[in-house]
Amino acid sequence: MKTTKILGIIMLLCAAIMPCTAHAQLYKSTYYNIDWQLNTPVFTDYANVTSGWGMNFEGGYYVSSKIALGLYGSFHTNNEYVETQVLQLNSSSSLYTDQVQSIFQIPFGALIKYRFIEDSMFEPYVTAKLGTNYVRMSSINNVLDFYSDSWGFNVQPEVGVSIFPSAHNRIGIHLALYYSYSTNQNQCLVYNLNGLNNVGFNIGITF
Amino acid sequence: MKKLFPLLLLTIILTGCQKEPDWGKLSNDLLVYTHYDEEVDFAKYNTFYIPDSILVLDNSQKEPVYISNDDIRARNIIEALTDEMTRCGYTQVYDRADADLGIITSYIKRTNTYVGYDYPYWWFDFYYYWPFDYWDPYYYDWYPYYPYPVTYSYTTGTIAVEMIALKDADTSSKMLPFVWTACMAGIESSNQINISNAIAGIYQAFEQSPYINAQ
Repeated sequence: MKTTKILGIIMLLCAAIMPCTAHAQLYKSTYYNIDWQLNTPVFTDYANVTSGWGMNFEGGYYVSSKIALGLYGSFHTNNEYVETQVLQLNSSSSLYTDQVQSIFQIPFGALIKYRFIEDSMFEPYVTAKLGTNYVRMSSINNVLDFYSDSWGFNVQPEVGVSIFPSAHNRIGIHLALYYSYSTNQNQCLVYNLNGLNNVGFNIGITF
Repeated sequence: MKKLFPLLLLTIILTGCQKEPDWGKLSNDLLVYTHYDEEVDFAKYNTFYIPDSILVLDNSQKEPVYISNDDIRARNIIEALTDEMTRCGYTQVYDRADADLGIITSYIKRTNTYVGYDYPYWWFDFYYYWPFDYWDPYYYDWYPYYPYPVTYSYTTGTIAVEMIALKDADTSSKMLPFVWTACMAGIESSNQINISNAIAGIYQAFEQSPYINAQ
C-alpha cells in the first residue's frame, strides 16, 4: 500500500514536470537540421560535377550552452555523362561504350558542434563530423551497370550559421559549407577511387 | 546488433535515393565488348568459315531457331563479318573441313544467361546452342575451351560473335579453343535487330581488335 502511494506521487510529479521539461529541451537543448545539399567530388576525375541530388539530416543535444553532441546522415548522387570511347579493361579486353559515371554516397555518424553565440538571431557555428561512408561507384550504360561498393571512415568539418528570424520561434534557416573526406576504395572498369573528397553546401531548415 | 538495425535500415532506405542517370542520352548508343586469347598468334591462320545462319537465343524457344541469310538481317550481319575478316587478310572457304577459323554468330533475343569465371562452359546445357558436330561430325561430343576467363553477361538484344580456332582443336582433351569473342549490345529497337547498329557494332569490334590480322 505504501509502495503504491509512493509510485502514485512519483507519477503525479512526473506528469507535472515532464511537459515543462520537454518544452525546455525542445527549445533550448536540442536542434535538428534538414537540408538540401549541393555537392562536388574533388581531386578526382570521376563524376567530378556539381550536383544537387542530395539531402542532409542532423540532430544534436546541447551538453552545455555552446557545445552540442549529435548524429548526422546524408545522401548524395553525382552523375556525369561521358561520351563514347574505347576502354582498355585489361591487356586482352576492350569495351566501347558511352557511360554515365556515378558516385552515390551515404555518410553518417556522430558530430560535435560549437556555436559561437547562443539564443541569438544568428548563431554561427563550427561542426566536426566523424563517421562512416557508404559509396557506390557506378559506370552505367544503356545495357549494363558496372558498380563497386565500399565502406570507409568519414571526416567532415563544417562551418555554418543558423538564422532565427523570430525571437519567439526556434524555427529558422540553416546554411553551411563543408569539406568531406572518406577513406573509401573503389574500382569500377578502368577507374579507381582512392579516397573520396567532397566540398559542398547545405541549405535548409533548423528547429 | 539491435542498435545497428536502425542504421542498416536507414542505409537501405537511403540507397533507394540514388539519382537515376539520364537514360535519354544513353539510349541510342552501342556497347561493344571484345576479348581475345593473348597467347594466340592470329597470323598463323589463313582461312575462315562462316555459317549462313544466325542462331537466336530466346528463353521462350524450345528448339533451336536460326535466321538464315534469306533474311536480310542475317545476310547483312554475315556479310559485314565476312567483309571484315577478308579485310584482315583471311580467305573465306566454303568447306568447313578446310577452315582454320570458324565464326559463329548468335542473337541473344531474350535470355538472362550469365557467363562467369566459375562456369565458362555454360552451353554444356544450352542444348540449342551451336552444336560442335556442326563443324564436323568428328567434333561430336567435343567441348568449347576458353583460354581466357569470360566475365561478361549476355543481355537481351545482344549479338555475340565467337571465333573458334578449328586448326588448334585438341584431339586429346576434345576441346575447341575459342580465341576471340565480341558482344554487341544495344542493337535492338522495337524488339527487332537494328541492322545499322548491328553492323556498326561489328565494324567497331574489329576496329578495337587490331590483333586479328593474317599478315
